[in-house]
Amino acid sequence: MATRDSLIQVTDLKKYYNKGAIKALDGITVDVNKGDVMVVIGPSGSGKSTFLRSLNLMEMPTGGSILFDGVDITKKKVPNEQGKLVKLDIDKHRQKMGMVFQHFNLFPHMTILENMTLAPIKVHHMPKAEAEKKALELLKRVGLGDRAEAYPIQLSGGQKQRVAIVRALMMEPEVMLFDEPTSALDPEMVGEVLDVMKELAQEGMTMVVVTHEMGFAREVGNRVLFMADGKLLEEGTPEDIFDHPHHPRLQEFLSKVL
Amino acid sequence: MGTFVQLENFEKLLPYVDMFKEGLVVTVMLALFTVLLGFLLALVLALMRMSDLCPLRFLGVGKDGHLREGGILLWLSRFNPVSFIATAYVEIIRSTPVVVQVMIIYYGVFSNLFELPNFKMFGFISFARFFPGVVALAMNSGAYLCEIIRSGIQSIDGGQTEASRSLGLTQGQTMRYIILPQAIKNILPAIGNEFVTIIKESAITFTIGVQDIMAMVNAIRSAAFIIMEPLLVATALYFCLCFPTSKLIAYIERRMSRGDKR
Repeated sequence: MATRDSLIQVTDLKKYYNKGAIKALDGITVDVNKGDVMVVIGPSGSGKSTFLRSLNLMEMPTGGSILFDGVDITKKKVPNEQGKLVKLDIDKHRQKMGMVFQHFNLFPHMTILENMTLAPIKVHHMPKAEAEKKALELLKRVGLGDRAEAYPIQLSGGQKQRVAIVRALMMEPEVMLFDEPTSALDPEMVGEVLDVMKELAQEGMTMVVVTHEMGFAREVGNRVLFMADGKLLEEGTPEDIFDHPHHPRLQEFLSKVL
Repeated sequence: MGTFVQLENFEKLLPYVDMFKEGLVVTVMLALFTVLLGFLLALVLALMRMSDLCPLRFLGVGKDGHLREGGILLWLSRFNPVSFIATAYVEIIRSTPVVVQVMIIYYGVFSNLFELPNFKMFGFISFARFFPGVVALAMNSGAYLCEIIRSGIQSIDGGQTEASRSLGLTQGQTMRYIILPQAIKNILPAIGNEFVTIIKESAITFTIGVQDIMAMVNAIRSAAFIIMEPLLVATALYFCLCFPTSKLIAYIERRMSRGDKR
């Protein structure tokens, strides 16, 4: 239910393929509040990535609504301040939603600095010098201050993902979406990425994280969602989910991963 | 039984050296103009094929404001007439012989529909034959180059678009700053190969009387009654055009891929 601090309200979100034969998302209803660190867990194919990618319309849902800052972004047309129906500008909403991908998706033809400053310069019309200064500060914070002029191919997976996180932060988003950010990393690099995410959470950033890192979910998350077969089966604090699981699917899942 | 070639026949070619020179210039000019025109056409075609102009798009949205999941209305809403025209053009060109296309353009379009001024470029290139030749070859290679450009753009990982759009960049900005710079690097070798192909395929224009290398071979055959020797000269000339071109392209390719390594 919409609280004052609610940032994203998802209502009965559906994503069907083949006229409903495949239900990737089957009626998800959840509120993301400001400052939440919401961790989504579940077996593969449960729809958790689809759910996350629907939040900024990387996937177009087939039903339900997503209210972000009070605007239903699943609609083609939305009312403006005067109450007139205008075309929804999804780019504007995406600027406020940072996204971090499993495979980093850095731009290989640009240096790290260029990767980070492109969007602020082109979208926010930030002066180049200011954008570069900001980028360097962020890079320093994640321990990559000396790699600004490097190309993505010269970085390790963990370094790439840290760059991807600060690249998204350059746009000063209201919420950060993480789509399995550590799944493509070598095990020894998982920690450095999770550390950055943990720091981000402690600073109060609203985060939605799809992950298989149960340790992170328990330690950093304040809410944990368990999804299976496109449905939200259980939701609660990390203690509820990990120590007192109710749904048999969750119990089965936890017995396999813990 | 005759022999394959007779050395003394090469001496008979000496009076025709200037003809070969002229033919060589014509072939090079044909290829250059064809590539320029063909590339422009290909860009337009590729943009048409990848355009997102669906005039019936509103049919795809149901009463509740959401996308339909299937049915004829969804299919109609995705119909893109601009893309359809470009696709049809590309498929027709790719499925018909270039010699047919050249003849249709020359005899059909430029002899019957448009009157071309009959002047000589550089004093020896007949414009009324050269121009239809360039147009026909450009129309042909435009279709192939279109597919090269399109596949180059579509070969870029979808994650690049997603990352760019997630940062709030528009579709146009994503194309300009993220996709095209990577795509052009990828397709340069293929464009170079197409250039080599055009040099070779331009030989077909002798059928409409363009005085290129191949036409000279024909002329010498009727004048001196020898065929193998002029053919071998033509072979050498084409090889000398194509081989260095493809080597040059390979060199440029290596230079450009330098940035990919550590």
